[in-house]
Amino acid sequence: MNEYDDKWEDHINALLDGELSAGDADLLKAQASDDRELARAIVEAYQLHRAMDQLNVERAPRSLTKRLNAIPREHRSASAFTLFQPRWAMALAVIPLIVITVSLMRPDTPSASEIAKARQEMAIAFAYIDKAAVLTGREIESTVGQTMANAVTGSVNKVIQSENLTSKEKKA
Amino acid sequence: MKRLLMNKFVIGLFCTLLALPAMAQEDELKNLAGYVDFGNLSATYGEPKITINLGGTMLNFVGMMSSSESPETSDLISKLKGIRVQIYSIGEDTDAAMHQFGETKSNLQSSGWEPIVQVNEEDEQVLVYMKAVDGNMEGMTVMVVDDEEAVFVNVIGQLNPAELAKVMDRFDVNVDLALD
Repeated sequence: MNEYDDKWEDHINALLDGELSAGDADLLKAQASDDRELARAIVEAYQLHRAMDQLNVERAPRSLTKRLNAIPREHRSASAFTLFQPRWAMALAVIPLIVITVSLMRPDTPSASEIAKARQEMAIAFAYIDKAAVLTGREIESTVGQTMANAVTGSVNKVIQSENLTSKEKKA
Repeated sequence: MKRLLMNKFVIGLFCTLLALPAMAQEDELKNLAGYVDFGNLSATYGEPKITINLGGTMLNFVGMMSSSESPETSDLISKLKGIRVQIYSIGEDTDAAMHQFGETKSNLQSSGWEPIVQVNEEDEQVLVYMKAVDGNMEGMTVMVVDDEEAVFVNVIGQLNPAELAKVMDRFDVNVDLALD
């Protein structure tokens, strides 16, 4: 179909749809008077239009309607969000990684009850150390006497204190 | 099949990531020079009746909480990096505890720990070891095995027993120690 035919075809369609302006309608009418092919094309188009109007629209079967309606839903579920697609798996794996990294970078803030429990546990540990020191002092005392026991336990403390003193001197 | 593998992969990754903080806490102490591996006597005596694992972060909070009431206590705690305690009720079956005692003692000696006090009685063994690196105290270990309990205490960091004796009164400790 050439450009000339396209132009008149648009006019014919517009005429049948009632959308052709009065000026264009007169122009088309004048042209059809001189052009028998165009006149016949208008008549055929009009008859086709009438025949289309007379066709009854048959309702689609219910099952077909359901299937057609389901197509967009099936399409959406397949492509929108699938948890274990690789890109979602990576994204989900990154979330706990970020949380853990942040929690490792800043110290956790324990609750007051947790600190109190830790203090009690620390006191228990200290009590055992203190008791062990008393026990060893008593054993030494029963073996070599009070004076020697004090000397030995005192020297033990001195040994440990001297280690601390050395470290303090080094820091200074 | 592919989706099943992906599910397993994601769940495995989640579990690994969630276990990281616990592993990091344990490693935090294990990597310190004053750490002592006491082994595990659970197979013989069941779970320890007391287990204490305090890391540096928690001790810092305890120290901060103590600073207002006792600067001495706070100062003592500030030098600590970790405290670990395992206490087993052993009844009269001391063999496994004594074996662990000897094995730990051997490990301490071979890794540069110095004996401070040792009591060798027929029914009671007490051992205090200290670790120093370049003149700095890095840890102290107290082990006691008698006919009732096996006690393993590991203090990581600097602890002066003389200072400890001064601050003990400030702690409201109500424990029934079998060392009497």
